[in-house]
Amino acid sequence: MERKFWKNYQKDIPDNNYYYERSCIRQSFFPGSETTFLRIVGDVLGKQIEDDQNLHTCTGIGYHADVVPFETTQTIIARLFSLMSEKGYRNFVPSCVTSFGLLNEVVETWKHFPEELQQTRDFLKQATGREFEIPEYITHPCDIIYKFRKELKEKMRFQIVNQKTGEPLRVVEHIGCHYSKVFPQAVIGSAEFPQVLAGMVEEWGGQVIDYPERRHCCGFGFRHYLIMANRGYSIANSRKKFESMEPYHPDFIVTNCPGCTMFLDRWQYTIKEMEGKTYDKQGNGIPVLTYEEMTGLLLGFNPWDLGLQLHQISAEPLLDKIGIPYDKEQKYLGKSGKIIDFKGF
Amino acid sequence: MIDYFERLSRDVRVKEGLKACMNCGICTAICPAAEFFPYNPKEICNILQTKDNKKIEALLKNETIWYCGQCMSCKARCPRENVPGMLISALRKLSQETGLFVESSKGRQQYAISKTIAESILKSGYCVHAENVKPELHPEQGTVWNWYYNNLEEIADRLGANYKKHGPGSLRLIGKKNLDEINAIFEVTGGKKFLETIHSYSTKKAQEMNLEIDDSLNSPYFIKTYTEDSDQ
Amino acid sequence: MEKIIYTDIAVIGAGPTGIVAAYNLARLGYKVSLFEKEESLGGNILKTYKLFPNFQSSNELLQLFGEMIVVNNLSLQTGVTVTNIRKDNNHWISTTNKGETIVSKAVLMATGFKPFDAHYKEEYGYGIYNGVITSLEFEKMLKCGEIYGSNGITPEKIAILNCVGSRDAKVGNNYCSRVCCINAVKFGIEIKEILPKAEVYCFYMDLRMTGQFYEELYRKSQQEYGVNYIRGKISEASQTADNRIQLKAEDTLLRLPIKMTVDLLILMIGIEASESTKELSAQTGIMGEYGFAKSHSLLKADNHTIHPGLFIAGTCKRPFTYPETVADARAAVVEIQHYLENKT
Ligand code: SF4
Ligand code: SF4
Ligand code: SF4
Repeated sequence: MERKFWKNYQKDIPDNNYYYERSCIRQSFFPGSETTFLRIVGDVLGKQIEDDQNLHTCTGIGYHADVVPFETTQTIIARLFSLMSEKGYRNFVPSCVTSFGLLNEVVETWKHFPEELQQTRDFLKQATGREFEIPEYITHPCDIIYKFRKELKEKMRFQIVNQKTGEPLRVVEHIGCHYSKVFPQAVIGSAEFPQVLAGMVEEWGGQVIDYPERRHCCGFGFRHYLIMANRGYSIANSRKKFESMEPYHPDFIVTNCPGCTMFLDRWQYTIKEMEGKTYDKQGNGIPVLTYEEMTGLLLGFNPWDLGLQLHQISAEPLLDKIGIPYDKEQKYLGKSGKIIDFKGF
Repeated sequence: MIDYFERLSRDVRVKEGLKACMNCGICTAICPAAEFFPYNPKEICNILQTKDNKKIEALLKNETIWYCGQCMSCKARCPRENVPGMLISALRKLSQETGLFVESSKGRQQYAISKTIAESILKSGYCVHAENVKPELHPEQGTVWNWYYNNLEEIADRLGANYKKHGPGSLRLIGKKNLDEINAIFEVTGGKKFLETIHSYSTKKAQEMNLEIDDSLNSPYFIKTYTEDSDQ
Repeated sequence: MEKIIYTDIAVIGAGPTGIVAAYNLARLGYKVSLFEKEESLGGNILKTYKLFPNFQSSNELLQLFGEMIVVNNLSLQTGVTVTNIRKDNNHWISTTNKGETIVSKAVLMATGFKPFDAHYKEEYGYGIYNGVITSLEFEKMLKCGEIYGSNGITPEKIAILNCVGSRDAKVGNNYCSRVCCINAVKFGIEIKEILPKAEVYCFYMDLRMTGQFYEELYRKSQQEYGVNYIRGKISEASQTADNRIQLKAEDTLLRLPIKMTVDLLILMIGIEASESTKELSAQTGIMGEYGFAKSHSLLKADNHTIHPGLFIAGTCKRPFTYPETVADARAAVVEIQHYLENKT
C-alpha cells in the first residue's frame, strides 16, 4: 500500500504514565491480550501503567444499542475520568475501540456544548459526590504500540516473514470503525488510510494488503449482534470482507478492536459450518490476531500465554509459517496446571 | 400529538448531527445497513429536515430506525457534516420514551437488549461479560468458546485474568462501591427511568400479544424479542 | 542593484484575465506592466486541451494571447513573482522576487485560481491508485490523444466524478466551482469521440448547466454519445485484485447503493484561491472567504477593493468560467480608467 498523505495526520501520543481502562469485550473474549499489553508496556518498555480495579464499563455497548441515555453515558464516563484524576493520571488509555470513539465523542460534545459538561458535572456530583478532570490525552493502546514499534522491533525474536521462503507474510489489517471514523483527527494516518496497524506490520517485516473492502465495517452493528435474530447482518458484512480479501491470500488478519477480532474469527467458523467454505487454501481459515497478540508473538512470548488457544481459527499454521515454537501440550492447560480436556466440545 | 421534531431538536445529537442534507448519497453508499436492509441514512436526514411530524412519527413507529448498525461510517464522509448515525440514536431514544418502539418488531427487541446489556451493567459493571455469552444462545461462538465457557475461571486466570475476584485484572469482581455509584448515576441521570419506560411499554405490549413476560430471560416475550426476525 | 519601474498600472498575473485587461488598458494609452510568475503566459489555460462549450482549442487561444501582448505601452515579464504590494501616498509599490520595485498609480490583481489538490480527498485514493486521475491530468491525456486506465491499457469503463473539492465541508470548500459540471459533459463527449466503445458514467449531485449551450451539450452527450449520468456522489474508490478501481455510490434517484468497477476515475477538481491570491490579499487586508480576494461591493464595485487604486478581476475573486473571467477583465479596465482619470 503506497501512502503519501497520511503523514500529515500524526497525533501526539504520550510516552509514559498511562491509565488503562479494560474493555468488557476484550476481557471476556481475549483476556490474554490485555495481560500481554500490560506486559509489553510495563515489562518490555518499562513504562508506568495503572490497572485500576475500580474501573468499569463506559456503557458503550449499551449506549450504541440504545438502552443507555446519552446523559447517563456521559456521567458514567465522567466517573471513569474522576477515578483517573484521583490517581493523578492525565493519559486515559481505553482498551476498547468503542470506548475510544465514545470518549472522544463525549469530550468533543463538551467542547461544543458546555451546558452538557456542566450537566454532567452536576449529575456526577449529585450521584456520587465526585468531581473530575478531562484527560489531557485519550490514547488507544494500539497508538502506544505504534509509537514504540521501533524500540519493540529491537527486542523482537521473530519477524512477520515466512521462515521457509524469507518472504514477508501478507497481512490484512482491520481497523475498528470507532477508532477511525468517529474522529478521523484522532487517528494515526486519517480515516481512509489508518497507519496504526499497517505501520506495525510494515515495521516488523510484513506486507499489508489493500483489498477493496478494507474500510468496510466488520458488521458488529451492536443490536444486530446482541439480538440473535439480527445476526445475519453481522455475518453478511464480515463475509463481504472475507470475499474481498480472499484473492490476496492473506496469511493472517490483525485488528485493533475487541469486537472485530472476535467477529472475524467466529464468522469464519460459522460460514465454514454452514457452507463448508473457508477463505484460505488449506481449509483452516485465516487466523485473526489482536495487535497485542501479534506484538507478543514477535517478542517471543509463549503463544499460550497470549491466549491464542481462545481463537476458533487455529493459529498454529501461522506460528509454523513464522517459525514460532510452541508446545502442543500446554495449549489446554488451566490455571491449576492441569489439562482441560477439549474433547467433547 | 407530541411535537416530535421539537423534542428531537433538544437532543444534542440532533444539534450536532443535523446540518443540512443535500442528498449526495455518500452516506448511503457506504452504509453497511443500507446494503443489507431496506434502509437509507440520507432519508433519515431528509425526513428530519422536513420537520414533518407525521413522517417523524411514522419513523418512530416502524422498523427503519432500528436497522442502523452504529458503525459511524457516515460520520467520516458526509460533505455537509451531518451524522445520520447520531440522528438514529436520538430517534431511537424518543421512540422508546414515547413507547412507539413496541409498534415494530425490531423496536420491540429493545426489551431483550435492556434485559441483557443494561442489567448486566447495573449488576456487574460490565456491559458484556463472558459468563453471559451462553453457548446455546451463541452457536456461532464455536467449539473453542464452548470449551472456554465451561472452564471460564481456570482458563481466563491462566491468561492472567482475575475471574470474579477482588483486585485488578480481567473479569475481576467490580466492587460494591463502584456498582453503587454506577446505579446512583443511572438513577440521577434518568437511565433507570428510561429502562423502566422500556419495561412498562414492553409489558403492555406483551399483554396485548398474549405473551407472558416476567423478570427472567426465559419469558416467552423475551424469547420472542430475542429470536424473532421480522425480515427472514 | 535595485531596479525601479514607473508605470501607470501594474497587472499581476498573465492568465486570460490579466492579458485581456492589460491589453485593453494599453490600447487606451496607459503604460502597463504585466507580471507572470510562470515562464509562459496563459495561466491555467495552459493545462487544458479544448474549452467548453464550443471545443475551441486552448492552443488557438494561447496564440491569440501571444498576439495581444505585442501592443504598444505593454511590457510583459514572465518568470517574475510579485511578492509584496503596498500603498505609498498616492502610489502603489510592488516588489518582485527579482528585486524590482514597481511604482504605479494602480494595481490590478489577476492572480487567478489553483486547482484543488485531490490528495485531500483520500477516500478516492488519488496518488495511491493508478487509474484515479484529476481533470487536469485527463486534459493532458487528451492533448496526447491517448487515454489509458489503471492497467495502462485502453479503458472500457470510465467514471467521472463531479464536485471534488467543491461543495464539501470536509475540505472546507462549501462553494460550487462553476466550471466542472460543463467540463465533465465536455469530457464525456471527448472520451466517446476517441473511444466510442467505452462506457462513460458521470456521477453528479446537480448538473449546473448555466451557460449558453451548456444544456444542449449535456443533452447531446446523452443522446448522441450515450454518456450515462448517475445522480450520486462517489463515496469511496478502492483498488481491486486485478488493478481496477471499485467505486461505491448511491444512485440517489433509484435510492439504491451501487458498486461499480471501472478502469479510470476522473476527479473533476474544483477551483481554489491561488497561493498568490491568498498571499497578496492577506497582505493588503482584502482577503475574503476561502482565501479569495474580496471586492468592495459585489453589486456596485466588484472590481474595486477597500483600497482606492487596488483592483481585482477574474478567478482571484471567485470561480468563473472563461467568458466570465474575460468579461470581468474588461469591466476592470473601465473601472481603472475612471479611477485614473479622476485621480490624475
Ligand atoms: S452509523 Fe448507521 S447510518 Fe451511519 S453508516 Fe453506520 S449503519 Fe449506516
Ligand atoms: S452524506 Fe450527508 S449530505 Fe450526503 S446524503 Fe448523506 S447526510 Fe446528506
Ligand atoms: S460546477 Fe458542478 S461539478 Fe463543479 S462544483 Fe459546481 S456542481 Fe460541482
